Amino acid sequence: MSPTIDERLASLIRSLSQVVLPHLPADASLAQEQVHLALGHLQILRAQIDPAAAFEAEEAADAARHGNALATLGGPGAALLADAVAAAQDLGARERVRTIHAAIDRFIRDSWAADDAGLRSAVSAAVLGHERDRVQKDRQWCAPFGFDSMAG
Amino acid sequence: MLAAYFAHVVPGAAVSGVRRVGGGASKEQFIFTLTESGRGDAYLLRMDPRLSITETDRQREYDLLTAMQGVVPVPETAWIDPRGEHFPQPAAIMRVVRGVTKPSQSKVKVSGLGTWLGPDFRDRLKDPFMDHLVAIHAYDWRARPVAGFDVPEADPKQAARWIFNYWRELMEIDRGVQRPIESLTQQWLADNLPDTTELVLVHGDYRTGNYLFDEDTCEITALLDWELARIGDFHEDLAWVLMRLFGTFDETGLFRASDLFERDEFIAAYEARSGRTVNRTVLHFYEVLSSWKCYIICAANGLAAARSQHNHQDVLLTFLAGAAPVFADDLVQLLSRGPER
Repeated sequence: MSPTIDERLASLIRSLSQVVLPHLPADASLAQEQVHLALGHLQILRAQIDPAAAFEAEEAADAARHGNALATLGGPGAALLADAVAAAQDLGARERVRTIHAAIDRFIRDSWAADDAGLRSAVSAAVLGHERDRVQKDRQWCAPFGFDSMAG
Repeated sequence: MLAAYFAHVVPGAAVSGVRRVGGGASKEQFIFTLTESGRGDAYLLRMDPRLSITETDRQREYDLLTAMQGVVPVPETAWIDPRGEHFPQPAAIMRVVRGVTKPSQSKVKVSGLGTWLGPDFRDRLKDPFMDHLVAIHAYDWRARPVAGFDVPEADPKQAARWIFNYWRELMEIDRGVQRPIESLTQQWLADNLPDTTELVLVHGDYRTGNYLFDEDTCEITALLDWELARIGDFHEDLAWVLMRLFGTFDETGLFRASDLFERDEFIAAYEARSGRTVNRTVLHFYEVLSSWKCYIICAANGLAAARSQHNHQDVLLTFLAGAAPVFADDLVQLLSRGPER
């Protein structure tokens, strides 16, 4: 039977922490720092590898929902945005997010170029509303990195 | 490499004890001893990687450090190879300064972000931290100009426009996955460029983690990381100090900027020491800009350098990208609430 990904990651963590790290010279600060970072990455990967596909699928669904919502606001970039969201439907999750966010970026630029205060205000409120929810999911996802003292 | 360099610039001197040092995210750094006429002194070689999380100029930083000698504590400059003629990349050499960036008992923090000083160090480091910030902003750059530091005085908005355009350009070059809040922030910043009423020398990365201090005396022995310094608006440094990720939250949820000051305490202390009045609308602009800049550094510049495999700190740069959601959240909150009144 093949070893599981979790078993393989666990063995890497043990190797680095129990064999490699103790044998690094005391003054090899950069090497020590990098082993600690590699260990941190591996521990986070171990925790995230199972839910990663679901997280990315939700991120892609959120991006599509946001893109469609923005397109309903109208303006010069609305049709292009709606088309881009529809065209991205069959892409893999990461590429779908990339494509839709690029289209949203262009839509925001087009909306500002239109010099329509009402449209700007509506776009601004919609982006803030969407990101207020979306960023909480990303903070939770990245909480294991230890930067976010208010997450987790 | 170091031996060959010193054979050229200090014939007869011997190089020993060369070792890499960690702690930073943007430059390759090596400590070594240079022995000349029987006396050994410790030096630091600070060299650009082929691609960096922040692309800056070694000559410019070196010239500023030289100018700041005697103004605030800074490492003493020694030699410079600005075009990488002797080293693989542009490099500067400075004397090593005693001190630590965090208490010896403090937990390791990536790139010094969110360093916990604790009550004792906090009380004793507050004053020198503020004094040095005020001294930097008081530097008379008109009387003692520094090469490479252009002055944005064509119109009142030029200082804000330059820093906005600089980071927008970096975002365009290194763009990874775009994010709607970043796209919106670009438009907001362009719409809200403030006037700068007084041009000062701005450090550009002033925070706990970027200075050395003596653990016994709490003297700040050196201010570090001047690579983003420029002539600009003092609100830019204040906003940077107030960044959430550079501070700490205590057990009651109270935020301390750089683990030193409560927010209003910091602003009041700066006003009292500098004689300036902090404009809350301008401060808000620079808080948005600071969070946007950090988002770009983590989510675009750092990842681009890591993807290219032209940086010795790939593993650190990909780890730092985990901070991007904090900055995205800061942008959402800042753009939602507007300036404090």
